[in-house]
Amino acid sequence: MSEFDAALGGFIISALRSSTPLLWVLLGEILTQRVAVVNLGVEGQMLAGALAGFAATLATGNPWLGLVAGVAAGMALSSLHALLCVGLKANAFASGLAVWMLGFGLSAFYGIPFVGQKINGFQALSPGALERIPILGTFVTQITPTVAMAILASPLLGWWLYRTRTGLSFRAVGESLSSAKALGLKTARVQALGILAGGAFSGMGGAALSVDYTRNWVEGMTQGRGLVAVGLVIVARWNPFLAIPAAMLFGGAEALTLRMQTSGVPISSHLLHTLPYLASLAVLVLSYTRANKEGGTPAGLGAVFSQSQ
Amino acid sequence: MIVPLAKDPPGTATAEAPGKDPMNGAAQASPLPAFSRPKKPGISGFPIPGLVKRIRKLPGVTVIAAALGFLLLGSVFFLAVGQPPLATFWAMIKGAFGDGYSLSETLVKTAPILLCAIAAALPARLGLISVGGEGQLYIGALFGTGVVLAFHTSPMYALLPAMLLASAAGGAAWALIPAYLKARMNVNETITTLLLNYVASLFVDFLVYGPWKDPNNLGWPATIGFPPAAKLPALFGTRAHIGLIFGLVAAVALYVLTARTRWGTCLRLLRSNRRVAEGIGLNYGRQAILVMCLGGMLAGVAGICETSAIQGRLQSGISNGMGFSGFLVAWMAGGDFLRIIPLSLLLGGLLASGDSLQMFAGLPSSASLVLQGLLFACVLAAGSLKAGRGADRV
Repeated sequence: MSEFDAALGGFIISALRSSTPLLWVLLGEILTQRVAVVNLGVEGQMLAGALAGFAATLATGNPWLGLVAGVAAGMALSSLHALLCVGLKANAFASGLAVWMLGFGLSAFYGIPFVGQKINGFQALSPGALERIPILGTFVTQITPTVAMAILASPLLGWWLYRTRTGLSFRAVGESLSSAKALGLKTARVQALGILAGGAFSGMGGAALSVDYTRNWVEGMTQGRGLVAVGLVIVARWNPFLAIPAAMLFGGAEALTLRMQTSGVPISSHLLHTLPYLASLAVLVLSYTRANKEGGTPAGLGAVFSQSQ
Repeated sequence: MIVPLAKDPPGTATAEAPGKDPMNGAAQASPLPAFSRPKKPGISGFPIPGLVKRIRKLPGVTVIAAALGFLLLGSVFFLAVGQPPLATFWAMIKGAFGDGYSLSETLVKTAPILLCAIAAALPARLGLISVGGEGQLYIGALFGTGVVLAFHTSPMYALLPAMLLASAAGGAAWALIPAYLKARMNVNETITTLLLNYVASLFVDFLVYGPWKDPNNLGWPATIGFPPAAKLPALFGTRAHIGLIFGLVAAVALYVLTARTRWGTCLRLLRSNRRVAEGIGLNYGRQAILVMCLGGMLAGVAGICETSAIQGRLQSGISNGMGFSGFLVAWMAGGDFLRIIPLSLLLGGLLASGDSLQMFAGLPSSASLVLQGLLFACVLAAGSLKAGRGADRV
């Protein structure tokens, strides 16, 4: 393998690793928006998941339990969003911001004793024989469990959404609430499930960030990944199959940022760090112009977005 | 709107939008009543629904419900962290309004919240949910500081107005990006404003860690201290500053402008029915840009006020969530510019008492963020008491 190939492979792996937390959240927000609910609170849910995951891993020494704790924390916080905007019909954007504030505040509050602590996290996958496969081998040995699970979860969710009966009920609710109701679907329950699923995935994303990627806890450590995910859902066109390339946009920009920093490019790291946000914004705008022409938005969700007009 | 709503006849789409759906609107409108299960079958014959309806109609019931809910959840939070709830609330009230010093600290926090609340409430007049106060505040501070650094030997009568104008221009420029994207391409303004907040704070970090860093200030990332000529005047010899006056004037002026002028009517028309309003010649895009940029100007001024009057230099993390607190205030006020004033004072008190909580109870400053989140949740829940009306405030 030439030096260039190795560098490229290394880049792809680091891009994958840095986009994994985002990919989890993105998949969750796709599920939530599929039932015609927008959840800006994923940012707070991620933070709750990151703290819970880190704390559980530190306490038990088992990163898998950390992931479970992260999922639980994300779901707990998202149930508030479900209560407010499905149960009480509050505005989804405002309710999401409330969830975000709570998640940020609670995780910062309870996270103080964990600042500066370190955990070991997962060991890289080393499935013996796979290592000897020429190109794929180096790939497989360098990715961690959360990366592998996220890559598998994306097509699985896509299959579930488009090929199963329950997936169909999600899509029906997202297209037209009243038609779904007329079909006998319990729409409020489906919407609440969509929000809770989003909570579980965003909590997982937060835990993947703190337990597997950075292996520490810092106040506000998600740095807008959840909000980026809300924007990238539109880029992925509400399609779990397209979630990986969409998440790689942010992750790739982030990996590029880190790489340029270490290779001594004379640009301020603060300016470089704007790159992931600006890249996400740019593709968001591009996909809006496409979506305006071609459609693809769940119709009920289009009504939510246009509600503010 | 991302997609033309061609699949559904107009009307159904808006009726279905979650959040706009009145409590029982969907059930009544259903053409097949057999499919709509009766809600709460056990209670439907009981006089309680009538009572609930009557309670809902009482004036101020949402305010009382939100306040009670907040006190309850706040008490639960205080109990969870091992503090006596009543004593802690009392300490907060004293910490916010107890004496001259705490009152002046409350006013210090009120000023940026008031300006940022207007920056969120004005776009809301057009139905826009702008959460960009934070970023506009940063860029306003950045532009204003740029003027101060470039002309720091100028006399006060020239420097202060130039600094304020630059900060207003900076905030407006930052708000112009989401406004333009909304007006031209219908890109959702909530998402773009939120993402741009991160970019704005990174720009400020870049400058205070890099080109603008005071070389004599080893380690601490900040610009040089502002010269006395760039200090905004304080009010009554306290730390409270003239930004508060700017906010009060802007709130009253915008109240009059939106309530009494053709422009206010134009905004109302565009908000309630964009298609009809555009049919009679009103320009949605132009108004969207106007309200967003006016709001951005005010948030930008909030940024330079905080920098010049309180911190005395531009440094990283100046805002500390003021933009979001402002958004919360705007939401609580239902976009009413006069109600924003007392509510900003209330939230300013909450933030100022966060500092005294730190001393009284050893609670970290993030406690006030938790309390704000609880307050927001209670306001939203109470808003749904007024069926159908609480849904689309702001």
